[in-house]
Amino acid sequence: MVKLKFLDRPKLSIWERIIFLDFIKGLRVTFKNLIRKTITTKYPYEKLTPPKRFRGVHAHRVKDGNEPLSFSVLGKFMEIGYDESRCVACYMCQQACPMPTLFKIEAVQLPDGKKRVTKFEMNLLNCLYCGLCVDACPVDCLIMTDVYESASYNRENCVIKMDDMSDRGRDFDRRRLKEKDRIWIDNEERTKLWGQIRWT
Amino acid sequence: MEILGTVIGVAVKSLIFIVGMFLASAYLTLIERKFAGHVQQRPGPLHVGFHGILQPIADALKVLTKEDIVPANVDRVLFYMASLLAFVPVIMILAVIPFGEPFTVFGLEIKPYITDLNVGLILALAFGSISIYGVIFAGWASNSKYPMIGGLRKAAVLIGYEVALGFAMVGPLMMAGSFSLREIVAAQDGFFGAFIWYQPIAFIVILFAILAETGRTPFDVQEAEAELVSGYNTEYSGMKFGLFPLAEWYIGTFVLSAIAVILFFGGWKGPEIFGPLSPFVWFFLKVGMMFMFFLWVHWTLPRYRVDQITEIAWKVMLPLSLLNIFITAFIILIKG
Repeated sequence: MVKLKFLDRPKLSIWERIIFLDFIKGLRVTFKNLIRKTITTKYPYEKLTPPKRFRGVHAHRVKDGNEPLSFSVLGKFMEIGYDESRCVACYMCQQACPMPTLFKIEAVQLPDGKKRVTKFEMNLLNCLYCGLCVDACPVDCLIMTDVYESASYNRENCVIKMDDMSDRGRDFDRRRLKEKDRIWIDNEERTKLWGQIRWT
Repeated sequence: MEILGTVIGVAVKSLIFIVGMFLASAYLTLIERKFAGHVQQRPGPLHVGFHGILQPIADALKVLTKEDIVPANVDRVLFYMASLLAFVPVIMILAVIPFGEPFTVFGLEIKPYITDLNVGLILALAFGSISIYGVIFAGWASNSKYPMIGGLRKAAVLIGYEVALGFAMVGPLMMAGSFSLREIVAAQDGFFGAFIWYQPIAFIVILFAILAETGRTPFDVQEAEAELVSGYNTEYSGMKFGLFPLAEWYIGTFVLSAIAVILFFGGWKGPEIFGPLSPFVWFFLKVGMMFMFFLWVHWTLPRYRVDQITEIAWKVMLPLSLLNIFITAFIILIKG
């Protein structure tokens, strides 16, 4: 059995009744805001830079000497030149994706037995930017950039191609590869607050 | 010939007043949007012209060229009439508002008002009340639920505040001894002659009534965008839709601020520091301050319920205004 408890509204004091004290308090708050500086960004003219881990439009990292160790294994079987997308067409991203049909990945076998990626397209209209494909990539190729303006006038432009993705990846790495992740910057603060982690 | 000259004079003056009021109300929207923006720490219109100075013109063009949809089952006569009925009476209040004393330019006497009726204030009140019918008709004619509720709410509020408004205006009238707005201004001499020092209770009641009449926020139950989609003007589109806020929020508030300034702040009177233009400067300065005060209240307070508004109107404001009449009459009786 639920017990209902009725509370009376707090009564206004005589001064609050006569000179509308709560009205004046509210008016003071709005006046303070009125003379304060605005905090908006004038969007099309100035744009905020998202954090490095922002999940924006996808891109491909290129073969530039910073590959992870797994690429030295897989890359032996691949026909990839310097400064080309380091995709090895392993289909891991498609496997991880909750909407696998948005990927169109094709690769061919060359006469000398090596593999070459001919097609890597993503239909971003179906993408929900969850980032699972990025986690799945074994060679640190597929990444998400801080580009967030992906709107276009027709549907065909929403499918991103491999060349554009390599360009975007090159651009993203040039701008932000050296930048520290916020999570590692904060680590020092965290250590100061809660102490060091000790492994046995 | 004499009559023809008068007719032409009045026609030209009316035209100037109406066109001027249209332009002024367009820029009042800009002032409101800037004010509302800065209260919420955003700059408001910024890109059309310098700090959005051309925004009202762009808005007017947009509203005028929009498709005008009339829903299928509306009461067509009332539906078309409602937007005019909200707009025309409000702008007609301007006919009795004096903007200054008559002055002479090149031997021609110019009166900065259209008429000086000896029942000017009653006429202003009557037109203000008629314009509310626009809201109620719009609610009825739309043949839809939300506008209907909005119109009924406005009707319910109307009954409450009109009585208090009428009684509150009696106080300044008794001190001035006339219904003519010019004579009311003439009765207020100097800084301490303004009626605000003698009639503070009436001023508060009239502030309440103006907020309720123009549908500004603490009492904007008729459009209550959180509850009723847009209230009485949900079914309207295009310029018919544009006329409602123009009439209620801008022209109505401006004109009623002017009446409040005439009743309580001495109209166009003030130290003559602006040369020959000083009456107009003082008048528009005071009306502008009054308008800004209404904006300030609008963007501060939350909305009252309908029953709370009628409760305040009948239980608080009406007794206050009656008490004010009693005190004023008593003091006038003693001082003679």
